[in-house]
Order: sequence, then structure tokens, then C-alpha cells
Amino acid sequence: MPLSVDARWDLIDKISKQTVEFGARKHTLKDAIAELTVKPLTGIPVAIAVIYGFWSFFCDFAGTLFTDGFMVRLFDEHWLPWLQSVFPGGLKNPFYALMVDAGHIEGGVLVASDNCFEAFGVLTSGFFVVFGVVLWAVLAFYLMFAILEDAGYLPRLAVLVDTVLHKIGLHGYAIVPTFLSLGCNVPGVTATRPLETRKQRFMMMTLLAIFVPCGAQIGIMQDLVPEMMGWIFLTLAIGYLGFGFILNKIVPGKSPELIMDVPPYQMPTLRNIVRKLWIRTSRFLIVAVPFVLLGSIIVGLMYLTGAMDWLAAVLGPLLMGWFGVPSETVAPLIAGFLRKDLAVGILGGLMEQGIMTTFQVFTSVILLCIYFPCLATFALMLKEENGKEILGSLASLVAMVFVYGGLIHLVGIMLGVA
Amino acid sequence: MKEGEEKFGQIYFAVLGVVALAFGVAELIASAGEGFTWGILDSSGASDPMFLPWKAIILLAAGLFYLSSVNNFAEVHQLAKAVMASIMIWIVAGMAIWARIASSIPGEETWFNNLEGFLASYAPPYCPEMFLLLFSLVIVYYILKEE
Repeated sequence: MPLSVDARWDLIDKISKQTVEFGARKHTLKDAIAELTVKPLTGIPVAIAVIYGFWSFFCDFAGTLFTDGFMVRLFDEHWLPWLQSVFPGGLKNPFYALMVDAGHIEGGVLVASDNCFEAFGVLTSGFFVVFGVVLWAVLAFYLMFAILEDAGYLPRLAVLVDTVLHKIGLHGYAIVPTFLSLGCNVPGVTATRPLETRKQRFMMMTLLAIFVPCGAQIGIMQDLVPEMMGWIFLTLAIGYLGFGFILNKIVPGKSPELIMDVPPYQMPTLRNIVRKLWIRTSRFLIVAVPFVLLGSIIVGLMYLTGAMDWLAAVLGPLLMGWFGVPSETVAPLIAGFLRKDLAVGILGGLMEQGIMTTFQVFTSVILLCIYFPCLATFALMLKEENGKEILGSLASLVAMVFVYGGLIHLVGIMLGVA
Repeated sequence: MKEGEEKFGQIYFAVLGVVALAFGVAELIASAGEGFTWGILDSSGASDPMFLPWKAIILLAAGLFYLSSVNNFAEVHQLAKAVMASIMIWIVAGMAIWARIASSIPGEETWFNNLEGFLASYAPPYCPEMFLLLFSLVIVYYILKEE
């Protein structure tokens, strides 16, 4: 005969009285530290210190040491000149332009590029983006992420931000997919599965796709516009919270509580860290490399066939009028469908040619973040969401791009910088 | 923890708290305008202006943590505050040292830095958190004692 609910609880009581020993437990130093990291008054400064350490390590490891220290020299001083000297064809040859160097106009003359950002070739810009910048950024990100994860800090961060995220219909756990997405949006979207309701999953995936740049993109942005990183993240964070608040109000459904296990702090083991680093970085490269190279080919072909100029002419008035960015931004926006890191790389080329002002670069970077998820993330969203939700996500994307992009332009005009 | 050790801890971390707080204020001022370089102490933030305000907030918080830990220092929750403050200083100082290591390895004209250039990267002046790092290590004694 099945037991009633009361009878079940009585039985649980009896079993626990016979099996569990109760007594006063002295708090250890580890317990006291664990408490400090979840209380807002002490936990927030600690979180600031942890995030500071995270990004500081990221910038110096990926930017100063590998990309600026070795990769820029390797690609610009050795790889590019070597390819320019041995690859058949030369400037004006379409295949050479596609694979090595499209060149650029200086004083009415087509001249060869002197750095991989400007070259726009599959073997130059494409390879530089993947192996010169992104690989090190992703490696640094996942190393720090694995350490925080294994040390037991991430669940505490989730508890800490729980109150804030409840205001937008999510709970603390949302920090895990958000943080993961800062490495790559694909595992970030996958990590939304523990969220209980369709509403929470839809909201989380939409916010990740729009407002959370991946590690690859961050790496390139850090390399191109380091002085703007604070403003870029602030703009995206405001969008994340503001748009989350609106979505919470208009999307039907519930946002129930989620009980999370908060493990004790522990020392990460080297074996686990290395294993996680290998799995995540290799998966990332398997996803990223084909898309970056494909993106380089498509953008190159569009330049060669004149399709890019046509699109720039068609979309130019909209881009200039509404968003305040030049028509040349069409190329990175198209590349952004495939890989956002490649798109920001193309933006870097335009920047080096002096086509854009600082504020236009800032607006373009934000637009690239919010206008569409990369193809790999979109494919995963197609799998994770139903047709109605996908349409909802796309409608949100379109609305957000126009509202937020226009708003940034308006702020720029009011400040006199646009 | 013995009474003498507790007394020493209270005085030591109160002083360290005041110094951390003062460095935090100095870095906050430096992030708003021009900082200062005094002998081997550099609070100009010239090397990393983007991170300077955050560093200042962390040092301020660490100073407050130290100061709030001194009352009843031997109690585990109070001691935990001083430990947390030290960990925050270790993070900031660790990253300052890591930044020097990262910039000291590649050379300007060659792939790797020469010995002279490498050593020059570690020359003074040093940022405030690197001085605090040295003095914050005293907490290790109290951690070992507690465990």
C-alpha cells in the first residue's frame, strides 16, 4: 500500500534519528571563508578581485605574451612576407587575393599589405585570427575557468548574484552559462539545459546569443581596442540586464527556484585542469577553424565579385543613418554570421586603413556582438529551441539590434562623438 | 592561538589595514588623474590604466577587511576576514608580477629578450600591492596555526 505524504515524512524522521548523529560542529577556517564569499558585503569585493585576476591574467597571457610578444612578429614579419614571395600570382590575381593578400589602395595605387589584419587572405588573416590571437585567448580563458570551477568558486558566485539575476527572471545558476559563453557560446548554450522552464532557457539562450561575446571575439577586441574594453563590457552588461528585465516581463511562463549544490573549497588538481583545458580547447578549435577559413573565403569572394560593394551601397544608408557606422562595416557583419572573431579582425583591417573613427569602431564592435549569434551557436539554438522559440529569439535579435544600436548612436550624437 | 600571538596579529593587521587603505585611496586618486612615483613606489598606474580603478577598489576592500578582523582576532570568522584580505592582495600583486613576467620574455627586436632587458623588466619602481604582498604573507603563520 502506498504511504501518504505525512507517513513518508514520519518514516524519514525515524530513519534519520537512527542513522544521523547530531551535535555541535565547530566552524573551520575554510567554512568561514566559504561564508564570506557568499555574503554580499564581503562577497562582492572578493568577486571583483577574482574577476580582476581572471581578466588581468587573460590580457597578459594572450595579449602581451603570446599575440603581441610572438605571434604578431611571426605572422607579420615572417609568414606574410614569405607567402607574398612564394605564392603564385601576385597582386591583382584573384586567387592570390583570396588566399594571401587583397592589398589596399594608397594614393590611387594597389599596394601589398604589411600586416595580417589588412591582408584579408585565407592563409594570412584567417590563420592569424585563429592561431595568432584566438587560440591563446581561448587557452587563457579556459585555464582560469577550470581553476575557478575546480576550486569551487563558481557556485558561490552563483549564490552571490542570485538576487540580481532574480530581477530578470533568472537565478544565480545563470552565471555558469554566462561565464562559459565568455569562452565559447556553444557550451554556454548547452549549459542552459539544467534550467527548469522553457521560459528560463529561452531567455538565457537569447541573452547569451546577443550580449555575451565569446573568448575569441574578446581576444581580438583586446588586441585591437584595449582602451575600449571597459566601455564595451559595460554597454553589453547594461543590455544584458535591461533586455533580460524586459524579456522577463513579456515572455510568458514561470521562473522557479533551483536548488544548487555548493561544494566545499578545494585545491584544483593539475591532472583535471590539463584534461579540461585539452578537451575544451580542442573542441573549440574543431568548431572554430573551419568556420573562420570558410568566412575568409566567402568575404574574399564577395570582395572579388563586387557583391560586397553592392551590399555596401544598398545597406550603406541604413548603416550610416541609423547606426552611424560606414558602409564598409557590411563586410565584418557578413563575416560575423560565420565567426565573430574573424569579423572583428576584418574591422581591425578597416581601422588600420583609417576608414572608421574611434566611436564608429566602438559601435561596430557592439553591433557585431548583438546582431546575430555565430553560425555554430545558431545551429545549436535550432536544436535546443522549438520553432516558435527560434522565431522569438530572432525577433528579439532584430528588435534589439535596431533599438540598442540606434540608442548607442543617439548617445554618441548627444556626447558629440558620433 | 596564544594571547601574545593574538595581540600581535591585532596590531600587525590593523597597521597593514591602514596602509592598504591608504594605498587604495592613492590608486583611486591616481586612476582619476595623475598618480605619483615616490622612490621605488609607483602609484601612477601608467602600465595598466584600464585596471587601476579596480585595483584601487580591491586594495580599499582588503584594507577594510583587515581592519574589521582585528577585534577578537583569534575567532575563526574574524581570522577568515584577514585571510580573505590577504588572498585579495595576493591576486592583485600576483597579477602585477605576472604582467612583468609576460612582458619580460619576448624581445623588442629579437624573439626572446636578452638577459639585460629581461632583468630590467623586474627593476623598480614597484606598485603598492607588491609591497603589501610581502607583509601580507604573515597571515600564512596564522593559517597554519589555525589548521
